[in-house]
Amino acid sequence: MAEKQLECTVRAAAYQKAWFAELREDVFEKQKPYAIVQADMPLELFHAMDVPVVSNQWWAAMVSAKRLAPYYLDNLNALGYHDGLCRYCSLSLASTLASTLAGNPTQAAPWGGLPKPALLSARLTCDCIQRVFEIWAAKLGAPFVPLDAPGASELPPRWWELSRHRWSELFESHRLDFMVAQFHSLIGTLERITGSTFNFERLRTLMEGVNQQELYFEEVREMICKAPKAPVRMHEQVSNVMAAQWLRGSDWAIAHARAFRDEVKKRVDAGVAACPSERVRLMWVGAGLWHDTDFYTAFEERYGAVFVWSMYLAFGPDGYIRYGLDDPLRALASRTVSFNEQLHNPPWANEWIVEQAKAHRIDAALVLEPLGTRPSATGNLFIERALEAAGVPVLPIAADMVDARGWNGLEMRQKVGHFLERI
Amino acid sequence: MPVVGVTSNTVPWELLRAAGFDPVLLSPRRRYTPLADRYMEDVFSARVKAIFDFLLSSEAAALSAVIIPRTSEQEHKLYLYLREVVRQGNSQSPPVPILYNLLHARSAEAEAYGLARTHDLKSTLEQLTGRAVEPDALATAIAEGNAARQAIRGLLQQREGPAPRLSGTEALALIGAWYFMDRVEYTTLAQEALLEIQTRAPIQGPRILIKGSLQDTPDFCAAIEAHGAIVVAEDDWWGSRAAGLDIDATIDPMRAIFDKYYFDAPSPRVFSGEIADAWFHRKATEVDGVIVYLPEEDDVIGWDYPRLRDYLNERAIPHLMVRKESSASIAAFIERLSNG
Ligand code: SF4
Ligand code: SF4
Repeated sequence: MAEKQLECTVRAAAYQKAWFAELREDVFEKQKPYAIVQADMPLELFHAMDVPVVSNQWWAAMVSAKRLAPYYLDNLNALGYHDGLCRYCSLSLASTLASTLAGNPTQAAPWGGLPKPALLSARLTCDCIQRVFEIWAAKLGAPFVPLDAPGASELPPRWWELSRHRWSELFESHRLDFMVAQFHSLIGTLERITGSTFNFERLRTLMEGVNQQELYFEEVREMICKAPKAPVRMHEQVSNVMAAQWLRGSDWAIAHARAFRDEVKKRVDAGVAACPSERVRLMWVGAGLWHDTDFYTAFEERYGAVFVWSMYLAFGPDGYIRYGLDDPLRALASRTVSFNEQLHNPPWANEWIVEQAKAHRIDAALVLEPLGTRPSATGNLFIERALEAAGVPVLPIAADMVDARGWNGLEMRQKVGHFLERI
Repeated sequence: MPVVGVTSNTVPWELLRAAGFDPVLLSPRRRYTPLADRYMEDVFSARVKAIFDFLLSSEAAALSAVIIPRTSEQEHKLYLYLREVVRQGNSQSPPVPILYNLLHARSAEAEAYGLARTHDLKSTLEQLTGRAVEPDALATAIAEGNAARQAIRGLLQQREGPAPRLSGTEALALIGAWYFMDRVEYTTLAQEALLEIQTRAPIQGPRILIKGSLQDTPDFCAAIEAHGAIVVAEDDWWGSRAAGLDIDATIDPMRAIFDKYYFDAPSPRVFSGEIADAWFHRKATEVDGVIVYLPEEDDVIGWDYPRLRDYLNERAIPHLMVRKESSASIAAFIERLSNG
């Protein structure tokens, strides 16, 4: 794995590890509740009730990084789930299903494995997610609380210019009302599980904290845009940002975002570049390639090609900041209702990514075409065409985010090399 | 009467009809989809791609609008793609896309939301035509729709019991027609067909239930029946479940229409699994065997398969899963069933 250039990155990893160990201890020894949720859930509601959350995608990335995905997914297929099904969101389920097998390597599961949650929850975006979570919940013996997801039908241009202050105009009010109504039921469930009462003031404070955290990320984003050479590698951006996003609004998350900002600023002030020979600035469009993160530094030495952008840092400020928190639940609803449209669907995804490419002085884009995660591969052709129309050459990368089976890292590096030679 | 296209079973025919439209299910057959291929990734089903291709072509000029329900994620994306192509000025003039935000998870919130969106759809249609949808028109459309449903249920009876008279291949063609026709005319023709079918001798062979991808052509049925079986049911909205129950004509018509499409229409997004499986559970006990068809493009029903398989195993109901329409295992399976 590429060396970590930032102290923050090492601290983020250590903190996450300790956090998870404490969660396991709390669950096993003190029977405290925790939840397994889909990444695009309103985590703030859980945090406001002191219910820690493990996100499905975070866990999948961990399993994948530990190179356990092939074993778990082979087992999933052997149970009768065919290999054309989505893998990103089902890898964690697969790890749970495999834990009942004799001779299984769950002892080797990251950090001791997932304990039994008090509930699972997901937004029903694609048609498969309700199924994945229902199977998983049955296996874990915990309830599944879904939040249904109506489709967006009004999508004003340049959503990121409206999302902070004018979010109530950006999203259809019936979708916001509906999400708020569902939040109330979810809060009811959380109250039953914890035996405590939801505190709206606490949610507001959390939301303010999230704003602060995302402003730090915005400063980092600005520095990456403006500095002559990228001060921080994409993969380290992701590690720092996501460690804080999963705990967003907490004291630790805000402090970590600040420390990350400070460290990046120090590097910029001192003229330190992640890759001093940077000549080509690359954009990674799509979820991370969690089973081969070295891929992201593989083109620096030979081509001076540096990944400077992924959605993980860039989406923070545009997707999360909300001002006007009189009704924090509705503001939170506005943050939750359209992740999919913003990241995967036209016109919002293509419009935003082109804007980001320009701001980051991107020379070329690699667009993940997720193989084993079919429904989330949508929107890509619009994104690719829009980037090309903006003068950014595009190379599609057919790969799965978590499944290393079928991934030929060497061949893919050669392919990217040829692409870089051509541009 | 202006023609509107719909993309699934969950768009309320009665409402469109009462608004003065002639609703038609879009089900184009296309070997090549060059217009759609420019924008739509390979992960889309052939059905949705063909619809998109059709809508971008000049053939769609005859449609005043296309109503797309939020009945699958692919349909929502179809809606967004269509709008985007128009926004980018890359299509002459595809029909106006209208999203019908009907949800399928069973919850008080989703129910209230869906009812409100059904009222919205009514307003949108009224704006399109410039006139109100009158209660009388709704009542008439409900009566027409129910009469057609009754006719379909008559046909379905000929597929039930130990001695069915209607093959699956014929049934799919006969039932499927209701998505494309005037329903008054359809009722008459279906009733005539029924009279003829009732005089036939029963068809011999093991009785099969199909589960899996949508059977919107009789091809797969024909492939099964070629081996001497008879397909007596399919768990999707094209065949056995196309009609369902009548719309309640005794309550507020908008409420009744919504109830029908929310509570009694199959969709890949029906939640929970227990509700989604209920029909299959009942039907599976009435047949000699079940064939689950999960073609390459399936990325949804595959999640249900192990659960359904366990259900069938527990009840010793013979079953087979195939991923190709022309699988050799079908013949062997039917032979096994035929030999008892
Ligand atoms: S489509 Fe997206 S949300 Fe759905 S299961 Fe796949 S990766 Fe997850
Ligand atoms: S489909 Fe995309 S946004 Fe949704 S969970 Fe998967 S990666 Fe995240």
